[in-house]
Amino acid sequence: MPVYEWDFAFVLNYRGVLWEGFLGTLKIGFSSLGLGIVIGLLLALMRLSRLWVVRAPAIAIIEFFRATPVLVLLFWCYYALPIIIGVAFDAYTAAIITLGFQTGAFMAEVYRAGIVSIDRSQWEGGKALGMSLRQLMTRIILPQAIRRMVPPFLERSFELMKTTTQASVITYGELLYKALLLSAQLYRPLEIFTLVAVFYFVMLTIASFAVRYIEHRIDAARL
Amino acid sequence: MSEAILRVSSLHKYFGDHHVLRGVDLEVQRGEMVCMIGSSGSGKSTFLRCLNFMEYPSAGRIELMGKVVGRESGARDGAPTYAYEERELVGLRTHVGMVFQQFNLFPHMTVMQNVMEGPVTVLRTGREEATERARENLTKVGLLDKADQYPSRLSGGQQQRVAIARALAMKPDVMLFDEITSSLDPELVGEVLNVMRDLSAEGMTMIVVTHELGFAYHLARQVLFLYEGVIHEQGTPDEVLKNPQQERTKGFLAGFTDFYF
Repeated sequence: MPVYEWDFAFVLNYRGVLWEGFLGTLKIGFSSLGLGIVIGLLLALMRLSRLWVVRAPAIAIIEFFRATPVLVLLFWCYYALPIIIGVAFDAYTAAIITLGFQTGAFMAEVYRAGIVSIDRSQWEGGKALGMSLRQLMTRIILPQAIRRMVPPFLERSFELMKTTTQASVITYGELLYKALLLSAQLYRPLEIFTLVAVFYFVMLTIASFAVRYIEHRIDAARL
Repeated sequence: MSEAILRVSSLHKYFGDHHVLRGVDLEVQRGEMVCMIGSSGSGKSTFLRCLNFMEYPSAGRIELMGKVVGRESGARDGAPTYAYEERELVGLRTHVGMVFQQFNLFPHMTVMQNVMEGPVTVLRTGREEATERARENLTKVGLLDKADQYPSRLSGGQQQRVAIARALAMKPDVMLFDEITSSLDPELVGEVLNVMRDLSAEGMTMIVVTHELGFAYHLARQVLFLYEGVIHEQGTPDEVLKNPQQERTKGFLAGFTDFYF
Protein backbone atom coordinates (compact mmCIF):
# COMPACT_ATOMS: atom_id res chain seq x y z
CA MET A 1 0.00 0.00 0.00
CA PRO A 2 1.52 3.30 -1.06
CA VAL A 3 2.14 5.80 1.68
CA TYR A 4 0.65 9.21 1.16
CA GLU A 5 3.16 12.00 1.51
CA TRP A 6 1.62 14.88 3.36
CA ASP A 7 2.81 18.29 2.25
CA PHE A 8 1.28 21.05 4.31
CA ALA A 9 4.05 23.53 3.49
CA PHE A 10 3.05 23.61 -0.15
CA VAL A 11 -0.61 24.16 0.67
CA LEU A 12 0.18 26.82 3.27
CA ASN A 13 1.71 28.95 0.54
CA TYR A 14 -1.89 29.54 -0.46
CA ARG A 15 -3.14 30.27 3.06
CA GLY A 16 -4.32 33.69 1.87
CA VAL A 17 -7.08 32.00 -0.09
CA LEU A 18 -8.18 29.98 2.92
CA TRP A 19 -8.03 33.08 5.11
CA GLU A 20 -10.32 34.86 2.68
CA GLY A 21 -12.69 31.95 2.91
CA PHE A 22 -12.54 32.07 6.68
CA LEU A 23 -13.49 35.76 6.64
CA GLY A 24 -16.30 34.87 4.26
CA THR A 25 -17.52 32.31 6.77
CA LEU A 26 -17.49 34.86 9.58
CA LYS A 27 -19.28 37.41 7.42
CA ILE A 28 -22.05 35.11 6.35
CA GLY A 29 -22.28 33.54 9.80
CA PHE A 30 -22.68 36.77 11.70
CA SER A 31 -25.01 38.44 9.22
CA SER A 32 -27.27 35.37 9.21
CA LEU A 33 -27.14 35.31 12.98
CA GLY A 34 -28.10 38.99 13.19
CA LEU A 35 -30.95 38.47 10.78
CA GLY A 36 -32.00 35.30 12.59
CA ILE A 37 -32.11 37.07 15.95
CA VAL A 38 -34.49 39.71 14.61
CA ILE A 39 -36.65 37.31 12.61
CA GLY A 40 -36.74 34.94 15.56
CA LEU A 41 -37.93 37.68 17.88
CA LEU A 42 -40.73 38.66 15.51
CA LEU A 43 -41.78 35.06 15.00
CA ALA A 44 -41.70 34.36 18.74
CA LEU A 45 -43.87 37.38 19.53
CA MET A 46 -46.29 36.41 16.79
CA ARG A 47 -46.39 32.86 18.00
CA LEU A 48 -47.23 33.99 21.55
CA SER A 49 -50.05 36.19 20.35
CA ARG A 50 -53.56 35.50 21.52
CA LEU A 51 -54.91 36.05 18.00
CA TRP A 52 -54.71 32.95 15.87
CA VAL A 53 -54.49 34.99 12.65
CA VAL A 54 -51.17 36.28 13.94
CA ARG A 55 -50.11 33.01 15.51
CA ALA A 56 -50.88 30.71 12.58
CA PRO A 57 -48.51 32.24 9.99
CA ALA A 58 -45.72 32.29 12.55
CA ILE A 59 -46.22 28.61 13.27
CA ALA A 60 -46.31 27.87 9.53
CA ILE A 61 -43.06 29.74 8.88
CA ILE A 62 -41.31 28.19 11.88
CA GLU A 63 -42.34 24.67 10.99
CA PHE A 64 -41.50 25.13 7.32
CA PHE A 65 -37.95 26.26 7.97
CA ARG A 66 -37.35 23.71 10.67
CA ALA A 67 -38.54 20.86 8.49
CA THR A 68 -36.78 21.76 5.24
CA PRO A 69 -33.11 20.94 4.59
CA VAL A 70 -30.91 24.01 4.31
CA LEU A 71 -29.35 22.68 1.13
CA VAL A 72 -32.71 22.54 -0.60
CA LEU A 73 -33.64 26.01 0.61
CA LEU A 74 -30.34 27.42 -0.62
CA PHE A 75 -30.85 26.03 -4.11
CA TRP A 76 -34.42 27.18 -4.13
CA CYS A 77 -33.64 30.68 -2.92
CA TYR A 78 -30.76 31.06 -5.36
CA TYR A 79 -32.27 29.54 -8.47
CA ALA A 80 -36.07 29.42 -8.11
CA LEU A 81 -36.98 32.49 -6.09
CA PRO A 82 -35.45 34.96 -8.60
CA ILE A 83 -37.66 33.50 -11.33
CA ILE A 84 -40.76 33.83 -9.19
CA ILE A 85 -40.22 37.38 -7.95
CA GLY A 86 -38.10 38.58 -10.84
CA VAL A 87 -35.17 39.72 -8.73
CA ALA A 88 -31.88 37.87 -8.85
CA PHE A 89 -29.83 37.56 -5.68
CA ASP A 90 -26.11 37.18 -5.46
CA ALA A 91 -24.86 34.16 -3.57
CA TYR A 92 -24.30 36.17 -0.39
CA THR A 93 -27.86 37.55 -0.30
CA ALA A 94 -29.43 34.21 -1.09
CA ALA A 95 -27.34 32.56 1.62
CA ILE A 96 -28.15 35.02 4.39
CA ILE A 97 -31.85 35.02 3.53
CA THR A 98 -31.92 31.24 3.77
CA LEU A 99 -29.71 30.90 6.81
CA GLY A 100 -31.28 33.95 8.46
CA PHE A 101 -34.79 32.56 8.17
CA GLN A 102 -33.74 29.10 9.18
CA THR A 103 -31.91 30.43 12.22
CA GLY A 104 -34.86 32.73 12.96
CA ALA A 105 -37.21 29.74 12.99
CA PHE A 106 -35.03 27.98 15.53
CA MET A 107 -34.40 31.13 17.57
CA ALA A 108 -38.13 31.77 17.75
CA GLU A 109 -38.46 28.45 19.50
CA VAL A 110 -35.55 29.27 21.79
CA TYR A 111 -37.19 32.55 22.83
CA ARG A 112 -40.61 31.04 23.17
CA ALA A 113 -39.35 28.10 25.19
CA GLY A 114 -37.53 30.54 27.47
CA ILE A 115 -40.64 32.58 28.06
CA VAL A 116 -43.01 29.68 28.61
CA SER A 117 -40.51 28.01 30.93
CA ILE A 118 -41.12 30.76 33.48
CA ASP A 119 -43.59 29.44 35.99
CA ARG A 120 -47.16 30.72 35.95
CA SER A 121 -46.67 31.80 39.55
CA GLN A 122 -44.31 34.53 38.36
CA TRP A 123 -46.95 35.95 36.06
CA GLU A 124 -49.46 35.88 38.88
CA GLY A 125 -47.06 37.46 41.35
CA GLY A 126 -46.59 40.43 39.05
CA LYS A 127 -50.19 40.57 37.98
CA ALA A 128 -51.34 40.70 41.59
CA LEU A 129 -49.24 43.84 42.04
CA GLY A 130 -51.20 45.49 39.26
CA MET A 131 -48.59 45.14 36.54
CA SER A 132 -49.54 45.58 32.91
CA LEU A 133 -48.53 42.95 30.37
CA ARG A 134 -45.64 45.12 29.27
CA GLN A 135 -44.38 45.65 32.81
CA LEU A 136 -44.70 41.95 33.51
CA MET A 137 -42.63 41.13 30.45
CA THR A 138 -39.85 43.65 30.95
CA ARG A 139 -39.55 43.46 34.74
CA ILE A 140 -40.42 39.89 35.67
CA ILE A 141 -40.54 37.44 32.79
CA LEU A 142 -37.78 38.44 30.35
CA PRO A 143 -35.03 39.02 32.94
CA GLN A 144 -35.55 35.44 34.07
CA ALA A 145 -36.25 33.98 30.64
CA ILE A 146 -33.17 35.45 28.97
CA ARG A 147 -30.91 33.61 31.39
CA ARG A 148 -32.49 30.36 30.28
CA MET A 149 -32.31 31.31 26.62
CA VAL A 150 -28.56 31.85 26.61
CA PRO A 151 -27.35 28.22 26.42
CA PRO A 152 -29.69 27.08 23.60
CA PHE A 153 -29.12 30.40 21.85
CA LEU A 154 -25.37 29.86 21.79
CA GLU A 155 -25.81 26.23 20.84
CA ARG A 156 -27.86 27.33 17.85
CA SER A 157 -25.26 29.91 16.88
CA PHE A 158 -22.61 27.17 16.78
CA GLU A 159 -24.84 25.09 14.62
CA LEU A 160 -25.22 28.02 12.26
CA MET A 161 -21.48 28.54 11.93
CA LYS A 162 -21.15 24.95 10.77
CA THR A 163 -24.16 25.21 8.48
CA THR A 164 -22.54 28.11 6.61
CA THR A 165 -20.41 25.50 4.78
CA GLN A 166 -23.51 24.62 2.80
CA ALA A 167 -23.47 28.04 1.16
CA SER A 168 -20.57 26.69 -0.90
CA VAL A 169 -23.05 24.90 -3.14
CA ILE A 170 -24.35 28.21 -4.45
CA THR A 171 -20.76 29.38 -4.97
CA TYR A 172 -20.58 31.69 -2.00
CA GLY A 173 -16.90 32.16 -1.15
CA GLU A 174 -16.79 30.89 2.40
CA LEU A 175 -14.13 28.61 3.78
CA LEU A 176 -15.31 25.33 2.28
CA TYR A 177 -15.88 26.84 -1.15
CA LYS A 178 -12.39 28.34 -1.20
CA ALA A 179 -11.04 24.99 -0.10
CA LEU A 180 -12.81 23.25 -2.97
CA LEU A 181 -11.40 25.73 -5.44
CA LEU A 182 -7.95 25.40 -4.02
CA SER A 183 -7.96 21.63 -4.00
CA ALA A 184 -9.04 21.60 -7.65
CA GLN A 185 -6.01 23.72 -8.46
CA LEU A 186 -3.40 22.13 -6.24
CA TYR A 187 -4.51 18.49 -6.20
CA ARG A 188 -3.91 18.46 -2.46
CA PRO A 189 -7.40 17.83 -1.04
CA LEU A 190 -6.21 15.87 2.00
CA GLU A 191 -4.08 18.69 3.36
CA ILE A 192 -6.61 21.34 2.43
CA PHE A 193 -9.59 19.65 4.03
CA THR A 194 -7.53 18.78 7.06
CA LEU A 195 -6.74 22.45 7.43
CA VAL A 196 -10.39 23.38 7.00
CA ALA A 197 -11.39 20.92 9.70
CA VAL A 198 -8.74 22.34 12.02
CA PHE A 199 -9.99 25.85 11.30
CA TYR A 200 -13.53 24.97 12.34
CA PHE A 201 -12.35 22.96 15.28
CA VAL A 202 -10.21 25.77 16.66
CA MET A 203 -12.82 28.45 16.03
CA LEU A 204 -15.68 26.57 17.66
CA THR A 205 -13.59 25.23 20.52
CA ILE A 206 -12.53 28.73 21.47
CA ALA A 207 -16.13 29.87 21.20
CA SER A 208 -17.23 26.91 23.27
CA PHE A 209 -14.92 27.89 26.11
CA ALA A 210 -16.20 31.46 25.91
CA VAL A 211 -19.74 30.13 26.16
CA ARG A 212 -18.96 28.08 29.21
CA TYR A 213 -17.44 31.11 30.82
CA ILE A 214 -20.55 33.16 30.09
CA GLU A 215 -22.82 30.43 31.44
CA HIS A 216 -20.71 30.19 34.55
CA ARG A 217 -21.00 33.94 35.10
CA ILE A 218 -24.78 33.78 34.68
CA ASP A 219 -25.03 31.00 37.24
CA ALA A 220 -22.86 32.92 39.63
CA ALA A 221 -25.04 35.99 39.33
CA ARG A 222 -28.06 33.85 40.17
CA LEU A 223 -26.72 32.83 43.59
CA MET B 1 -69.96 52.89 61.54
CA SER B 2 -68.94 50.12 59.21
CA GLU B 3 -68.57 50.42 55.49
CA ALA B 4 -68.87 47.55 53.06
CA ILE B 5 -65.62 47.42 51.12
CA LEU B 6 -66.59 44.40 49.08
CA ARG B 7 -69.96 43.11 47.97
CA VAL B 8 -70.26 39.95 45.95
CA SER B 9 -73.53 38.58 44.71
CA SER B 10 -74.37 35.37 42.86
CA LEU B 11 -70.81 34.66 41.81
CA HIS B 12 -70.49 31.77 39.37
CA LYS B 13 -67.37 30.31 37.85
CA TYR B 14 -67.03 27.61 35.25
CA PHE B 15 -63.86 25.90 34.11
CA GLY B 16 -65.13 24.46 30.84
CA ASP B 17 -68.18 22.43 31.83
CA HIS B 18 -67.07 22.23 35.41
CA HIS B 19 -69.27 24.47 37.56
CA VAL B 20 -66.86 25.42 40.34
CA LEU B 21 -68.71 28.29 41.99
CA ARG B 22 -72.48 28.06 42.05
CA GLY B 23 -73.66 31.41 43.29
CA VAL B 24 -71.64 32.86 46.16
CA ASP B 25 -72.71 35.98 48.06
CA LEU B 26 -70.49 37.83 50.47
CA GLU B 27 -70.22 41.22 52.07
CA VAL B 28 -67.03 42.32 53.77
CA GLN B 29 -66.75 45.39 56.00
CA ARG B 30 -63.66 47.55 56.09
CA GLY B 31 -61.22 46.33 58.71
CA GLU B 32 -62.77 42.90 59.14
CA MET B 33 -61.17 39.53 58.71
CA VAL B 34 -63.11 36.83 56.91
CA CYS B 35 -61.86 33.26 56.94
CA MET B 36 -62.91 30.72 54.36
CA ILE B 37 -62.61 27.04 55.11
CA GLY B 38 -63.57 23.93 53.21
CA SER B 39 -61.99 20.87 51.68
CA SER B 40 -59.94 21.11 48.51
CA GLY B 41 -62.11 21.41 45.44
CA SER B 42 -64.79 23.28 47.36
CA GLY B 43 -64.04 26.42 45.33
CA LYS B 44 -62.61 28.60 48.08
CA SER B 45 -59.37 29.43 46.27
CA THR B 46 -61.23 30.02 43.03
CA PHE B 47 -63.56 32.38 44.81
CA LEU B 48 -60.62 34.29 46.26
CA ARG B 49 -58.92 34.47 42.87
CA CYS B 50 -62.08 35.93 41.34
CA LEU B 51 -61.92 38.82 43.80
CA ASN B 52 -58.79 40.27 42.19
CA PHE B 53 -59.62 38.81 38.79
CA MET B 54 -56.82 36.29 38.60
CA GLU B 55 -59.81 34.33 37.33
CA TYR B 56 -62.67 36.03 35.56
CA PRO B 57 -66.05 35.28 37.10
CA SER B 58 -68.43 33.58 34.66
CA ALA B 59 -71.38 35.42 36.18
CA GLY B 60 -72.24 37.51 39.22
CA ARG B 61 -71.56 40.98 40.48
CA ILE B 62 -68.49 42.20 42.29
CA GLU B 63 -68.59 45.62 43.88
CA LEU B 64 -65.35 46.92 45.27
CA MET B 65 -65.27 50.09 47.34
CA GLY B 66 -68.69 51.08 46.10
CA LYS B 67 -67.89 50.52 42.44
CA VAL B 68 -69.19 47.66 40.32
CA VAL B 69 -66.38 46.02 38.36
CA GLY B 70 -66.89 45.61 34.61
CA ARG B 71 -69.88 46.36 32.45
CA GLU B 72 -73.02 44.28 32.54
CA SER B 73 -73.19 42.22 29.37
CA GLY B 74 -75.89 39.59 29.78
CA ALA B 75 -77.06 36.88 32.13
CA ARG B 76 -76.22 33.30 33.00
CA ASP B 77 -77.59 31.00 35.70
CA GLY B 78 -79.93 33.78 36.74
CA ALA B 79 -77.05 36.13 37.49
CA PRO B 80 -75.80 39.08 35.45
CA THR B 81 -72.59 38.58 33.50
CA TYR B 82 -69.99 41.28 33.07
CA ALA B 83 -67.48 42.23 30.42
CA TYR B 84 -64.13 43.18 31.91
CA GLU B 85 -61.52 45.48 30.52
CA GLU B 86 -57.92 44.61 31.28
CA ARG B 87 -57.14 48.26 31.99
CA GLU B 88 -59.74 48.45 34.75
CA LEU B 89 -58.58 45.17 36.28
CA VAL B 90 -54.94 46.23 36.28
CA GLY B 91 -55.91 49.35 38.19
CA LEU B 92 -58.11 47.41 40.57
CA ARG B 93 -55.33 44.97 41.46
CA THR B 94 -53.25 47.80 42.89
CA HIS B 95 -55.94 48.14 45.59
CA VAL B 96 -56.31 44.43 46.26
CA GLY B 97 -53.20 42.72 47.57
CA MET B 98 -52.71 39.00 47.23
CA VAL B 99 -50.43 36.55 48.96
CA PHE B 100 -50.03 33.10 47.43
CA GLN B 101 -49.47 29.62 48.76
CA GLN B 102 -46.17 29.35 46.86
CA PHE B 103 -44.99 32.89 47.76
CA ASN B 104 -44.39 33.82 44.09
CA LEU B 105 -41.45 36.04 44.99
CA PHE B 106 -39.27 37.24 42.12
CA PRO B 107 -36.10 35.11 42.34
CA HIS B 108 -33.99 37.53 40.31
CA MET B 109 -34.52 40.34 42.80
CA THR B 110 -33.35 40.81 46.36
CA VAL B 111 -35.85 40.97 49.19
CA MET B 112 -35.66 44.77 49.10
CA GLN B 113 -36.17 44.88 45.33
CA ASN B 114 -39.12 42.52 45.62
CA VAL B 115 -40.84 44.82 48.07
CA MET B 116 -40.00 47.96 46.07
CA GLU B 117 -41.04 46.55 42.70
CA GLY B 118 -44.77 47.28 42.98
CA PRO B 119 -44.50 50.86 44.22
CA VAL B 120 -41.70 51.79 41.80
CA THR B 121 -42.90 50.07 38.62
CA VAL B 122 -46.65 50.23 39.05
CA LEU B 123 -47.35 53.20 41.31
CA ARG B 124 -44.37 55.25 40.04
CA THR B 125 -43.35 56.05 43.58
CA GLY B 126 -39.93 57.73 43.82
CA ARG B 127 -37.05 55.43 44.77
CA GLU B 128 -36.39 57.22 48.02
CA GLU B 129 -39.95 56.99 49.23
CA ALA B 130 -40.26 53.41 48.00
CA THR B 131 -37.10 52.45 49.86
CA GLU B 132 -38.42 54.08 53.00
CA ARG B 133 -41.72 52.27 52.70
CA ALA B 134 -40.04 48.95 51.95
CA ARG B 135 -37.94 49.30 55.10
CA GLU B 136 -41.06 49.98 57.15
CA ASN B 137 -42.83 46.96 55.75
CA LEU B 138 -39.83 44.69 56.15
CA THR B 139 -39.54 45.86 59.74
CA LYS B 140 -43.20 45.02 60.22
CA VAL B 141 -42.64 41.43 59.10
CA GLY B 142 -39.35 41.27 61.02
CA LEU B 143 -37.03 40.82 58.04
CA LEU B 144 -35.22 44.10 57.59
CA ASP B 145 -31.92 42.30 58.21
CA LYS B 146 -32.59 40.11 55.13
CA ALA B 147 -33.17 43.08 52.80
CA ASP B 148 -30.16 42.34 50.58
CA GLN B 149 -30.62 38.58 50.38
CA TYR B 150 -32.13 36.75 47.46
CA PRO B 151 -35.35 34.86 48.21
CA SER B 152 -33.70 31.49 47.56
CA ARG B 153 -31.59 32.04 50.67
CA LEU B 154 -34.61 32.38 52.95
CA SER B 155 -36.75 29.79 54.70
CA GLY B 156 -40.32 29.27 53.53
CA GLY B 157 -41.69 31.25 56.45
CA GLN B 158 -39.35 34.13 55.75
CA GLN B 159 -40.22 34.09 52.05
CA GLN B 160 -43.89 34.21 52.88
CA ARG B 161 -43.34 37.18 55.19
CA VAL B 162 -41.49 38.96 52.37
CA ALA B 163 -44.46 38.24 50.12
CA ILE B 164 -46.74 39.85 52.70
CA ALA B 165 -44.45 42.90 52.88
CA ARG B 166 -44.46 43.08 49.08
CA ALA B 167 -48.27 43.12 49.01
CA LEU B 168 -48.39 45.64 51.87
CA ALA B 169 -46.08 48.02 50.04
CA MET B 170 -48.89 48.73 47.60
CA LYS B 171 -51.00 50.05 50.52
CA PRO B 172 -53.92 47.85 49.49
CA ASP B 173 -57.47 48.34 50.75
CA VAL B 174 -58.10 44.61 50.93
CA MET B 175 -55.70 41.71 51.18
CA LEU B 176 -56.37 38.20 49.95
CA PHE B 177 -54.51 35.26 51.47
CA ASP B 178 -54.62 32.01 49.54
CA GLU B 179 -53.65 29.16 51.90
CA ILE B 180 -50.45 30.95 52.64
CA THR B 181 -49.26 28.57 55.36
CA SER B 182 -50.19 25.35 53.58
CA SER B 183 -46.80 24.73 52.00
CA LEU B 184 -44.78 25.64 55.10
CA ASP B 185 -43.11 23.30 57.53
CA PRO B 186 -45.21 23.19 60.70
CA GLU B 187 -42.65 25.06 62.79
CA LEU B 188 -42.71 27.99 60.35
CA VAL B 189 -46.46 28.48 60.33
CA GLY B 190 -46.54 30.51 63.55
CA GLU B 191 -44.29 33.34 62.39
CA VAL B 192 -46.52 33.92 59.36
CA LEU B 193 -49.76 33.76 61.34
CA ASN B 194 -48.32 36.26 63.81
CA VAL B 195 -47.72 38.74 61.03
CA MET B 196 -51.29 38.26 59.86
CA ARG B 197 -52.60 38.71 63.38
CA ASP B 198 -50.71 42.02 63.67
CA LEU B 199 -52.09 43.18 60.33
CA SER B 200 -55.60 42.39 61.41
CA ALA B 201 -55.07 44.26 64.67
CA GLU B 202 -54.01 47.29 62.65
CA GLY B 203 -57.33 47.21 60.89
CA MET B 204 -56.39 45.65 57.55
CA THR B 205 -59.32 44.15 55.68
CA MET B 206 -58.41 40.52 55.08
CA ILE B 207 -60.00 37.61 53.29
CA VAL B 208 -58.21 34.45 54.23
CA VAL B 209 -58.46 30.96 52.81
CA THR B 210 -56.97 28.72 55.45
CA HIS B 211 -56.80 25.35 57.10
CA GLU B 212 -55.63 26.92 60.36
CA LEU B 213 -58.87 26.60 62.27
CA GLY B 214 -57.44 27.88 65.53
CA PHE B 215 -56.31 31.03 63.77
CA ALA B 216 -59.74 31.46 62.18
CA TYR B 217 -61.47 30.84 65.48
CA HIS B 218 -59.53 33.46 67.39
CA LEU B 219 -59.21 36.21 64.77
CA ALA B 220 -61.96 36.03 62.17
CA ARG B 221 -65.13 38.03 62.46
CA GLN B 222 -66.87 35.85 59.88
CA VAL B 223 -66.17 32.26 58.97
CA LEU B 224 -67.48 30.76 55.75
CA PHE B 225 -67.61 27.06 55.06
CA LEU B 226 -67.62 26.36 51.35
CA TYR B 227 -68.92 23.11 49.98
CA GLU B 228 -69.25 22.28 46.29
CA GLY B 229 -69.13 25.88 45.17
CA VAL B 230 -71.61 27.41 47.58
CA ILE B 231 -71.38 28.87 51.07
CA HIS B 232 -72.77 26.00 53.02
CA GLU B 233 -72.55 27.64 56.41
CA GLN B 234 -71.65 31.14 57.48
CA GLY B 235 -71.44 32.98 60.78
CA THR B 236 -69.23 33.94 63.66
CA PRO B 237 -66.34 31.61 64.52
CA ASP B 238 -68.35 30.31 67.47
CA GLU B 239 -71.33 29.54 65.32
CA VAL B 240 -69.50 27.85 62.47
CA LEU B 241 -66.55 26.23 64.19
CA LYS B 242 -67.97 25.38 67.62
CA ASN B 243 -71.65 24.84 66.97
CA PRO B 244 -72.00 24.00 63.31
CA GLN B 245 -75.58 23.33 62.23
CA GLN B 246 -74.91 21.56 58.95
CA GLU B 247 -73.85 17.94 58.73
CA ARG B 248 -71.22 18.72 56.06
CA THR B 249 -69.62 21.32 58.30
CA LYS B 250 -69.57 18.92 61.23
CA GLY B 251 -68.03 16.25 59.05
CA PHE B 252 -65.37 18.61 57.76
CA LEU B 253 -64.45 19.83 61.25
CA ALA B 254 -64.33 16.30 62.60
CA GLY B 255 -61.41 15.67 60.27
CA PHE B 256 -59.26 18.10 62.21
CA THR B 257 -57.97 15.97 65.04
CA ASP B 258 -55.60 18.59 66.37
CA PHE B 259 -58.12 21.39 66.71
CA TYR B 260 -59.04 22.11 70.34
CA PHE B 261 -60.19 25.44 71.72
